[in-house]
Amino acid sequence: MFYSFRNYTGELMVIGNMLEMEENHFPKSNLPFVDTKASTLSKQDNAIWGKTSPSKSYGSSSSTSTENVVSTLERKNATSREVNNTDDPPLLPGEKVASQSRDVTYLCPYDGPCRGILTITNFKLYFRPVDKDTPNLIDVPLGVVSRIEKVGGASSRGENAYGIDIFCKDMRNLRFAHKQENHSRRDVFGHLQQFAFPLSHKLKFFAFEYAENFPENGWSVYEPIAELKRMGVNNDMWKISKINDQYDICDSYPAIWAVPAQANDDDIKSVAAFRSRGRVPVLSWIHTESQATITRCSQPLVGVSVKRCREDERYIQLIMDANAQSHKMFIMDARPSANAMANRAKGGGYESEDAYQNAELVFLDVHNIHVMRESLRKLKELCYPSIDETKWLSGLESTYWLKHIKCILTGAVRIVDKVENHKTSVLVHCSDGWDRTAQLTALSMLLLDPYYRTIKGFEVLIEKEWLSFGHKFQQRIGHGDDHHSDADRSPVFLQFIDCVWQITQQFPNAFEFNDYFLITILDHLYSCRFGTFLCNSDRERVQEKVKEQTISLWSYTNSQLDLYKNPLYYDNNHLQRVLMPVASIRHIKLWKAYYCRWNLSMRTQDPVYQRIRELLKLKSQLEQQVEISKKEQQSRISRSNASPA
Amino acid sequence: MTDLKESGFKSYLDESGLETIKLNDLQQTKLLDGETTVSTANNVMLFNTLSDKKKGTYGILTVTTFKLSFACASDNGLDNFHQQNLLLGMNDICLSSIATIYQTGERTKKKLIPGQNISGKIKELLIICKNMRSFEFSFKDSEKDGGKTTANALIHHAYPKRHSLLFAYDYLEPYVKSPQLAKEVTMFRKKEDWSRELRRTKCENWRISDLNQNYQTSPYLTQSLIVPLSISDFSLIKSVEHFNNRFCPVWVWGTAKGAALVRMADLLPAISDSKYENELFEHIRKSHPDLKQPIIINLNCISSKDVQASYLKLRDICVPDSSRMFKRQDFKLYGLLDNSKWLALVSTCLGFAVEAADCLHKKVTTVVLQEGNGQDTNCIISSLCQIILDPYFRTKPGFQSLIQKEWVSLGHPFAYRLGHIHDKDVETAPFFLLFLDCVWQLQLQHPAAFQFSETYLTTLWDSAHITLFDTFIFNNDHQRMMAESGTTNGASKLVLRSIWDWREQFSESDLIFFANPLYQDNYQQILEVKHGISSLEIWSQCYFRWLPELEIKNGGRPVLDLYNRILVNEILNLRHGQADANGRYLKNIDEQMDLLKKVNSFFPFSHNLFGQTSASSNIFLSSDVLDTQSVFNLTTE
Repeated sequence: MFYSFRNYTGELMVIGNMLEMEENHFPKSNLPFVDTKASTLSKQDNAIWGKTSPSKSYGSSSSTSTENVVSTLERKNATSREVNNTDDPPLLPGEKVASQSRDVTYLCPYDGPCRGILTITNFKLYFRPVDKDTPNLIDVPLGVVSRIEKVGGASSRGENAYGIDIFCKDMRNLRFAHKQENHSRRDVFGHLQQFAFPLSHKLKFFAFEYAENFPENGWSVYEPIAELKRMGVNNDMWKISKINDQYDICDSYPAIWAVPAQANDDDIKSVAAFRSRGRVPVLSWIHTESQATITRCSQPLVGVSVKRCREDERYIQLIMDANAQSHKMFIMDARPSANAMANRAKGGGYESEDAYQNAELVFLDVHNIHVMRESLRKLKELCYPSIDETKWLSGLESTYWLKHIKCILTGAVRIVDKVENHKTSVLVHCSDGWDRTAQLTALSMLLLDPYYRTIKGFEVLIEKEWLSFGHKFQQRIGHGDDHHSDADRSPVFLQFIDCVWQITQQFPNAFEFNDYFLITILDHLYSCRFGTFLCNSDRERVQEKVKEQTISLWSYTNSQLDLYKNPLYYDNNHLQRVLMPVASIRHIKLWKAYYCRWNLSMRTQDPVYQRIRELLKLKSQLEQQVEISKKEQQSRISRSNASPA
Repeated sequence: MTDLKESGFKSYLDESGLETIKLNDLQQTKLLDGETTVSTANNVMLFNTLSDKKKGTYGILTVTTFKLSFACASDNGLDNFHQQNLLLGMNDICLSSIATIYQTGERTKKKLIPGQNISGKIKELLIICKNMRSFEFSFKDSEKDGGKTTANALIHHAYPKRHSLLFAYDYLEPYVKSPQLAKEVTMFRKKEDWSRELRRTKCENWRISDLNQNYQTSPYLTQSLIVPLSISDFSLIKSVEHFNNRFCPVWVWGTAKGAALVRMADLLPAISDSKYENELFEHIRKSHPDLKQPIIINLNCISSKDVQASYLKLRDICVPDSSRMFKRQDFKLYGLLDNSKWLALVSTCLGFAVEAADCLHKKVTTVVLQEGNGQDTNCIISSLCQIILDPYFRTKPGFQSLIQKEWVSLGHPFAYRLGHIHDKDVETAPFFLLFLDCVWQLQLQHPAAFQFSETYLTTLWDSAHITLFDTFIFNNDHQRMMAESGTTNGASKLVLRSIWDWREQFSESDLIFFANPLYQDNYQQILEVKHGISSLEIWSQCYFRWLPELEIKNGGRPVLDLYNRILVNEILNLRHGQADANGRYLKNIDEQMDLLKKVNSFFPFSHNLFGQTSASSNIFLSSDVLDTQSVFNLTTE
């Protein structure tokens, strides 16, 4: 079975495949919501799902199903555990039902009210319509919830005026109406609060309860030393340093970094004192041929008095000297220059070209987390629940979302240009060096190094540039806390994934993964099912024993890689090592498959990929046939040779 | 912001340009039989697009009775990345493609008015074309009066006032109609074409009327008109009088269940009594097997003024005259796009087409499309509706026949709307482009539904401005007939050359890209169409291809397209190779991959590839492989 997603040049594929694989876990009779055609596929028993052969994954061809992807995705979740009572939701290992209310109405913005059973577990909200034919099965991990509000009070009159509003982090809102006389709302509201905001209720994240076994262990995907070795470090110019072993130089950095070989520990300590939050310039990426590097750090603590730090200046010189090809380097300050200047008043600032003789400072004009949060808020208003077609273009313009995406991409392209075309090293920072800096270094690396365009490489990239270097996922996403208007929240990582999607659109065959992989990452960015995106830094993750007590998202993804593969990808390292996307708004599009995916009116089917997949299937069938007839021929020959003439 | 491309650009602004330019045979401007040179200017510089007049190429600029031609030494003529028109060089454009000519200076930009005589010195000319291309020339190093002569030649020849001045009348090359043409298109000029269509669609209760034989009723319509069976020519002849252009209700298509698609004009403005209209509607009702009332869709809400105004704003977005303007536009692109209303027009057209298709298909109700003259928006909606409902019109021959039927035969005034004839009283408006854009959106939503590619559509738009073919230069079939018989005032007999005879313009290696490798001929019968603006996209190949800055190196849609071609080719090879099973089919895959790596996002319209090594010959470009049967025709047993 194939269920397709709208899109023309590069996204989601093989949803059906996924279904098929997950179905393999269960006896057919226990599958709720799976049509007979699909369930006939599920004959095999458990435990073989990572090993399904690729050719099998093509399933029945040319089905132009009218199914939409969301119900498919929801169904996929629905089928993911064995269930006995059909009213009970399918549960993950470690998941427990907290409450169940009958006679709740989901107010669907598209199909209107829909009665059903609402179940709250310690992981998710699950709504089963009474009328089993409606597509309104709702299955939302509570980690996605940003805000819960009661609507209507004792005096509320009228149908469906009394209930709960749920605002989600993933571009949708849900409203459930309760009957006052049932007194179900209080219970539901309480449990929702408790499990959506475990931090506020001194509870553990679901990730710590979740206990599923996967054939792959995602925690071993990224090994800092192995990754540095992959790039040839240690070498003459760069060395691995364990100075931050105890996280006492910089508590938001990992324990292992690479620094210029010439820099001694005292230098590093002095530099750390001069850089905001001790985030010294460290190696992100090195060009294995030219030795040009991308390094990252936070702003220098220059302040109003324009302080200087000899050690910092010398250290930057060492980074430049480490690249023999160039006698110059660039410091790319991600911020708009006005913001960089304003930071001086708060003790921060930027490098003066007087102090850093051979460095050229460039401001990349990427705005701060608050601007981005506001932009996404507007975008959500535009896309959900309904789209005003007449105001679509002007509305899109006024969100500035695409403009921000363009700015980030432009920045990355400029970095790549300097590193690749000019063989010059680039140092990237913003204020603290954990938001815009991570966007820029990670994107530049993705453009420069084909390794990061593979599925595992991309996981390494996220582990390295985002997680280990301390992007504050906990704060930016607000995992499990109820302060929905917290000023620290911001869609910084979402923007990065959006930028990656934009690049995949421009280079449809350069990435091993498809856009379903990107959407899966975003879904679990919020879900709190996996430990990957919990906490703010490596240090916190060690303290919380995240690795020991939770499962990595990559265990899940790497156990079903076929789902995430781009059929157009070919290993073209030697052909197209460096990607240079065109960062013009004329090419930047809204990622409708993500931002508009809950908007039923936006869904279409039959992307170009479905067709390509059919062709690929046909090709592999033909290849098999050729193979068979070859063998037949050989055996005929050997038989005729063997038989005496 | 610094210019990223800076390092990649080669500057041609050097002293060598001051010498006389030496061109080999391939590079020189070539004249067609019957074409004469009007002016020539040496040492003219063609500025690179968006280089802010800082970079360019020296060459010879020639104006002829057919084209504007810029010949330069860097054009090696052997460029596989660019579609090569056999009639026009890479830097040639047909005079009829020219929209506006500006005299430019440091900061000035002055439009040259047709009919004007230029006496002053001209240093620079900016030429904006109807297909969003632009040229900017400097005559600084050219001979004295080089600019002035060129400008005068252009103003006098690019804006003909009379039809007989179009080059088609002067072209002397004998024309041998391709024997395949009859299979490629039905012209809908003859009665049997219409009766075949009537039979094909299995529509009963309709008949062909000879009322307009020899155009005696209306010169704006074709000679054979399909009308309700119940109406006699005698009563029809009376009714016809009361409609604009005498465009009475004419059947164009129908479903097997009996719902018909009918086109007509409004009643004459002076007539307030709708009696005649109602009478005809009654006959249309009687032609429905269930005697269902037809639904009238009025299309007057899209005027030619709207279309033209919108197109001009769109063109401004596509033809920025400086890098500053490019960046400024980039900064507020979606606002500008919104303001142009182009996508709103596309959305409206698709919306009407969906509405009409729903009536015909779901409600089994006859649809009557009505509009002022019956020959502008009617053409768009009627064609789109048939594309949505009838898979035949999604094949190349079907699509070409559809354009013949709905546009050419039923008299869309191409000569006026495309601005082939310059006249103050004439309203130009690219309805045809609007239509092609709508078709492109359908292709985007249904990549396997069409036998032809977006490159085909883009090329069709370019070709509509080549006045050597008769297809798009007349306002109606009557004019064509007059020209053919030599009765047009002051003109010689015109040889009809159909645009659909694509081999006149392109060689096989280019025609191959007209085919859609993903085409599936058993694709769903009826297309589901999203017509909201949020579901539409900007047709980047057609509109942005002249801006090299926007070209994605080794990326974009062509990468997908080529990949699919390779895939389909491999499948075909596997099929052929199966018999002997010797594995030979793997040959040349590397070669194909090699082209894949060199292809950029505006292929085959890439323009910034001077100096790039040309591709090696590729077997998968040969037409027998891909022209263009669906590989799904052959089943895998």
